[in-house]
Amino acid sequence: MREYLLYIKTGAEKMLSAQAYVTPCFAVDQSFWQEREGCKLHVIGKSPSLALAFSLREIVNARLKEQYGTSHPMSEEGLAELRELAVQQVRETAVLYGRDMAGVEPPGPEWFTWETGDWSVSVTPEIVEDDGQKLKLRLATSTIQKVLDGRALLWEETETLLLKREAPIHDLTAVLQRMVLSERAQWRPGIRFAIKKSWWKHRLEMSCERCGSRAKDIEYTVCHSCGQGCAYCTVCLGMGRSKCCTPYLLVPATREAASDEREAGRKTARLHWSGSFSRDQAVAAEQARRYVANPRPGLSQFLIWAVCGAGKTELLFPSIEVALSTGGRVLIATPRKDVVLELAPRLQRVFPDARVIAVHGSSLEKWEEADITIATTHQVMRYYQRFPLVVLDEVDAFPYHNNPMLERAVARAVKLEGKLLFLSATPPQYLQKRLVAERKEKLVLKKSKLPLLRSSTHVLLPGRYHGSALPVPRIETIPGLYKRMRANRPISSLLQIVRSTLAEGRQLFLFVPRIDDVERVLAYLTTFFPDLASQMAGVHAADPQRDEKVRSFREKRYRLMVTTTILERGVTIPRSDVVVLGAEAPVFDEASLVQIAGRVGRSSDDPMGVVLFLQAERAASPKAAVRQIRRMNQLAKLQEAQEERA
Amino acid sequence: MRYDTCLGCGGRLNERVKESAVRSLAGQLASRTRYPVMYRLVAGLTLCGICMNQLPVMLGPSCPQCGREGSQLCSDCHNITAETLQSNRSLLRYNEWGKNLLSTFKYRGEERLADFFAKLLTIAFYRYYEAIAFDCITTVPLHAQRLQERGFNQVDLLAKRLSADLGIPVRSLLVRTKMTAQLSKQAGRTARVESMEGAFSWAGERVQKNVSGSYRVLLLDDIYTTGSTLRSCAKTILAHAGPHGSIYSLTIYR
Repeated sequence: MREYLLYIKTGAEKMLSAQAYVTPCFAVDQSFWQEREGCKLHVIGKSPSLALAFSLREIVNARLKEQYGTSHPMSEEGLAELRELAVQQVRETAVLYGRDMAGVEPPGPEWFTWETGDWSVSVTPEIVEDDGQKLKLRLATSTIQKVLDGRALLWEETETLLLKREAPIHDLTAVLQRMVLSERAQWRPGIRFAIKKSWWKHRLEMSCERCGSRAKDIEYTVCHSCGQGCAYCTVCLGMGRSKCCTPYLLVPATREAASDEREAGRKTARLHWSGSFSRDQAVAAEQARRYVANPRPGLSQFLIWAVCGAGKTELLFPSIEVALSTGGRVLIATPRKDVVLELAPRLQRVFPDARVIAVHGSSLEKWEEADITIATTHQVMRYYQRFPLVVLDEVDAFPYHNNPMLERAVARAVKLEGKLLFLSATPPQYLQKRLVAERKEKLVLKKSKLPLLRSSTHVLLPGRYHGSALPVPRIETIPGLYKRMRANRPISSLLQIVRSTLAEGRQLFLFVPRIDDVERVLAYLTTFFPDLASQMAGVHAADPQRDEKVRSFREKRYRLMVTTTILERGVTIPRSDVVVLGAEAPVFDEASLVQIAGRVGRSSDDPMGVVLFLQAERAASPKAAVRQIRRMNQLAKLQEAQEERA
Repeated sequence: MRYDTCLGCGGRLNERVKESAVRSLAGQLASRTRYPVMYRLVAGLTLCGICMNQLPVMLGPSCPQCGREGSQLCSDCHNITAETLQSNRSLLRYNEWGKNLLSTFKYRGEERLADFFAKLLTIAFYRYYEAIAFDCITTVPLHAQRLQERGFNQVDLLAKRLSADLGIPVRSLLVRTKMTAQLSKQAGRTARVESMEGAFSWAGERVQKNVSGSYRVLLLDDIYTTGSTLRSCAKTILAHAGPHGSIYSLTIYR
């Protein structure tokens, strides 16, 4: 069982530099300080609970700052007081933990064990000759540093990664502790806690260092690994168990590594793309490229707002090229696995000399190094200040949207002073507020609703690459929609569009709000079109044949697909129409409906198509979606007019 | 803390849909007189109606020895010469869903699932062993090193909850002295039986026999595959409990 020792380091004479440290191997710390400076190390105590040691460190540091901020020398009384403070804190923690775990027996005599230390060590500086062992240690450190560069990993993950890379993991704790002391890495407990005091009730506040979850998402447990009061995070459990006693290691990407790659960067950045931009696309791409190339600090976020079918992915190429050529690694994060799988080969084709990997839950390339990493937002959690450029595609999609854990993960993957580029067809309101400036009209009274086309923090692409306007959805309210469906009574507008679409040889998406509706609607259509039954299929997220069915639909073996919202984005099928059945349902919010409408008319040979929203009762979101699409068309027209004038 | 979504499909727990599923399952699991108890237990499962209906409960006739589905003594049990277990009973068939759920519990470490699995064990107990007066519950122990790695013994968590439900005390009678590889990483049945040979040793105190002089132990585990783990445990217990000991095992999956 590992034990963590808490000690205070003070400078030789003055108290100014007094600071508390936690270490799993005190000997390493001693020799580390010996190489650097003369100082005194006062041991406060030790415990097998990592989270406890860290909570005490915080408290001791706060106390030191408060009382010994001036140049008092550290007295024996002062030390005794600090040790007493630690003991009190441990006792209080144990009581609060025990209160929350009422009825459960602690594994030891107490929930937390704490052994007060009462010795001090003076370290005299000593220049140690580089012997063989030192050299070996230094070599191991640099290898390990390179492997862990820019990653945030739990202890078990660190070990597996190093084993996979065949790095020397003998004496791993010592090597990591040296990295921590020289401030090239940080370590923390997986779950940390602090005592929150209030007039009503003191409580133990736990939070997950990895995903930021707190309170009810943290589950207390009797742990046989540390034999102490322990807890684990239930939110990020799928990525390995983050516990109070698991060290969580954060290694920011270093500058040296980046400059190493600068030379190689020139080569890997070669863009091999024969396509061309439309005029509007070229302007937008240039703007994004300039943002990425701009070395000025402070510009940390940028939004590319491009309507469905504007050619968003291509817009990124110049920006990625710039980032790669300065020797940086690029991350493209997206909430959906399908998008990851689709993007990876596309980017590999365009950047033939760069190494592109696709990282998702079941990916085998998860631990590889690469120039361009395409990852699901969940996997981004394992990176720490690694990428000078992070592109976040589909900001408004499930599960990223409204998920503070993933937002935090993506923000953390960006290197200090790095750039974060958002990409969306329907940016959420908070992002619009933050990055999109509103158009200022001359007349104060008439405030225009149209957003600006570009600013220093965003660029808006309101038109499709082929220049035709977005198809505007038709909304139809059908009273008793579901009743009709159940009773197999005809719904004329639905039947009509199915008939005409299939007769013209087009394909039809039929979106329904719930999984159970898929079967029901399929059965309903089969009764009206019995001879077309073989061309119709239904799909939902948990469908075991999901990928197969979608592929068949792409290959036109199915002509009509009844689906839940899973196909709302990332699917391009030329010559198709869309019907949303039950558009008033809460799953279809404005963004989702705009995305759905965006499935239609994406290819240049068939820029128009039918989009029909059928609702059982009047609702706000279909209307809002139509309004948004109209606004975009209006903006596109405006832009065109401006350009003609220019 | 409890889940508020279905463990089978992740959907919502709709009480109305669930009700009929609970009634039919409870009716199939228990006799008329024990229906109320069974109903309460089944209703406590965090499953939605649809998943409840799909729960792979072994309802048909089973092997009187190991509980495998089939009308008579199965071929595996037929071949065993020195049987140490009185009998084994399990509630569910081990399917893909069960495999995933159990590995989330054991290897991922989702300890909140213990409530659900313990409930399944309680249901199995009321279905098969209600008539037997047990002296104690005991579990298959983990090797100390494995326990340190994993942080918890999954069966112990279940035993604690089961004991609270049934009022039978938990005793740890065994320790694991041999570290064995995961079942799926071993070659076959015979290899498994051999590796389990002498893997446990006695850790309990002297056995206190009850009035009739016999000593009945309920041995818990999460899954019965070849049964060699449970038989090895039973052998060790029998060696110390003497001729009057009888060991019944209960597992979730078969």
